[in-house]
Amino acid sequence: MSNWFRANRAQVGLVGLVLGVVILLALMTLPATPVAAAPRVQGEPPSDDTCLACHQQEGMTAQIGGQPLPITINAEKFSSSVHGTEKIACVDCHTNITGFPHPQVIASSQRDFSLQLYPTCQQCHVEQYAKTLDSVHQRAFAAGNKNAAVCTDCHNPHTQTRLTDKNTGKLLLGARLVIPQTCAKCHSTIYDTYKKSVHGAALTQEGNQYVPTCIDCHGVHNIQSPTTNSFRNSIPFLCANCHTNEALMKQYGLSTNVLNTYVADFHGTTVKMFEENFPDQPTNKPVCTDCHGTHDIFKVDDPNAGIAFKKNLLVKCQQCHPNATTTTFTDAWLSHYEPSPRVFPLVYFVNLFYKIFIPAVLGGMLVFVLSDVYRRFMARGTQRKGAEQK
Amino acid sequence: MSDPLTRTYERFPLARRIEHLVMLLSFTTLAMTGLPQKFSSSSISIAFVSILGGIESLRTIHHTAAIVMMLGTAWHLLVFGYLAYVRRTRFTMLPSLQDAKDAWLAFMYNIGRLKTPPQMGRYTFEEKMEYWAFVWGTIIMGATGFMMWNPISTVKLLPGEVIPAAKAAHGGEALLAVLAIIIWHLYGVHIKRFNKSMWTGKMTEEEMLHEHPLELADIKSGIADRSEDPATLRKRRSVYFPVAAVLALFMLGGVYGFVSAEKTALTTTERQVPTVVVFVPQTPTSAPTLTPTVPATETPLPTSTSSAPQTTTDTTSVAPASALTWDNAIGGLFQTKCGTCHGAAATAGLNLSTYADAMKGANSGPVIIPGDAANSLIVQKQQAGGHPGQLTPEEIAQVVEWINAGALEK
Repeated sequence: MSNWFRANRAQVGLVGLVLGVVILLALMTLPATPVAAAPRVQGEPPSDDTCLACHQQEGMTAQIGGQPLPITINAEKFSSSVHGTEKIACVDCHTNITGFPHPQVIASSQRDFSLQLYPTCQQCHVEQYAKTLDSVHQRAFAAGNKNAAVCTDCHNPHTQTRLTDKNTGKLLLGARLVIPQTCAKCHSTIYDTYKKSVHGAALTQEGNQYVPTCIDCHGVHNIQSPTTNSFRNSIPFLCANCHTNEALMKQYGLSTNVLNTYVADFHGTTVKMFEENFPDQPTNKPVCTDCHGTHDIFKVDDPNAGIAFKKNLLVKCQQCHPNATTTTFTDAWLSHYEPSPRVFPLVYFVNLFYKIFIPAVLGGMLVFVLSDVYRRFMARGTQRKGAEQK
Repeated sequence: MSDPLTRTYERFPLARRIEHLVMLLSFTTLAMTGLPQKFSSSSISIAFVSILGGIESLRTIHHTAAIVMMLGTAWHLLVFGYLAYVRRTRFTMLPSLQDAKDAWLAFMYNIGRLKTPPQMGRYTFEEKMEYWAFVWGTIIMGATGFMMWNPISTVKLLPGEVIPAAKAAHGGEALLAVLAIIIWHLYGVHIKRFNKSMWTGKMTEEEMLHEHPLELADIKSGIADRSEDPATLRKRRSVYFPVAAVLALFMLGGVYGFVSAEKTALTTTERQVPTVVVFVPQTPTSAPTLTPTVPATETPLPTSTSSAPQTTTDTTSVAPASALTWDNAIGGLFQTKCGTCHGAAATAGLNLSTYADAMKGANSGPVIIPGDAANSLIVQKQQAGGHPGQLTPEEIAQVVEWINAGALEK
């Protein structure tokens, strides 16, 4: 080591000097934006070509924790990745590497090494990184689950292509097709279920980019636990984001009244009032997913599982009403229909009756009351001197 | 009695006044806890529900008030039976054609078409209307309330649709009742003239003269007071009380059944939370870097190795030591795994592209000491691990074997 040092004294001195300048400049320019990489200084540590000279060799490994850590980078993929196209250099992320030999890596495992490296993302992705700190993954991680996803588990920094529009920051439609596959890396069984659902099948088989992917319900970066009471209570409004969207629903011939009709019916009224007052409290009243499913949402007219069929719906009812054994019970719920002379006519005519009966009765009462007021008013005017009428 | 106009007459005995109070309180409670459920989206409703501790406790209050009203109704029926059978009082609350006439006359009087108002008896048409509206409302609300409270039992006899229809009627009727109370009762009994008789139980002669002149006349003429002799009353009571007790038990049982017939309609079972194993990573688990297509330990040397076919390299690892030479294995290995830096680039002065260059060593001196792998820098570096272009343990073993066997070129 000392031999090497002596031989490279000049370089080491230069590197030290440059490093000092870089640190100074870095301190002055924080925080950086995703587009503007940390400023580069002439003569600074290795260019990407220098790194790739070694690291694009196939099958390169380093030993970490007794296991080989692959350290080969696909140069082509990197250059077409968003980092590559934005000219983010290897050393922008691998900030501790300034030349060769590299500083020794002290990591107990490949995972441990990833965990050491990923905070580098926050140099540029401040907002996203901050959001992840309030995520279910981060909480699982803090609770000791080292498998909980960090940035690089979803976004391979060497191959990640652009996901959002550079100017608007909006998610690119094409990116939506990739999202479920990303989550599937860790949630493979849920992905398998999702693929078969009405949403997932449309996305994976038809390439429909408008159906919900994982993040439309679960969010991105600050993903919240879907098993909390507040998440459950908010589900009707979550589904309503799309299912009350006229333009979106028109494509599938679906009703946009599903939220209105739900809130107007027994269960929805409770959940609505509950959600407004006590979003954190548990309620056993059903939300959308209790009948329609979560990742296994099927069309309501699906011959096997569709809940438009009373026998299938009764099974859902029985989850909470085990004593309900007849399919007539399913009609106690309006199934999102608005009563009309054809559907649920009894409900329609009861409503119609009161629509007429209430104004008729009250109107009659009002007429009489007003006539009484009128008489008293007139009597007061004409009989001011006379005995006052009680 | 001194002044005839201040003389008072009993209008409502204490029991009726208590009954009124009970109905007033339960009705108001039902309205206040029911309307927020009907108008569940209104912010007033939501705030009110919040004050009462949530929708569940609001419903508990609503149901409790409903029970009170049912008990009040049962009591009312028993009192009616007593008055009808034991006391044989006149059915002054029964509506008649005269009430319709009175209403018309009162209206004509109000609009100035008549000089005098109609003369009415113990209960005016306004009071009868309110009473019978209450009866109608109680029947509707009780029946529809039962259906919603016990939907599973209900749909055993009736189509399922009656449950939402019951809810519609319950809400419509509630709205009608509350508004009618506000318009009719509030005006007729509180605004027009504050009628205190339901609290004091009494009315002055002057009030009687204005509002119930026919009753006053009946009282004065003695028609109203049909006092029976005590013996007859006692006899009737002895018949009525046992019947009333049975009726009371029957009605109490009805209320109990009403309330407790069903368990899982309102208080549903505990929610079954499905347990899902969320973390099921795909295999192979992806990593930021390129994982070799075959596990590294088995990686054969790339085909670019010109000097020797890989198969021989692999097989030689189990072959005798003498089989390993620079030409047939090590040169190719170094070229592939080390060549980028320690080829023509000669990083740190080490060039491993030819046997001669390799034996020359690096700036720091020789890296291969034939016959002594342990002291060869190349082996020390590789065995320490973490070197870029790290050899696999098997490859290191080959190099060690080769050096220990004399680091032969051929």
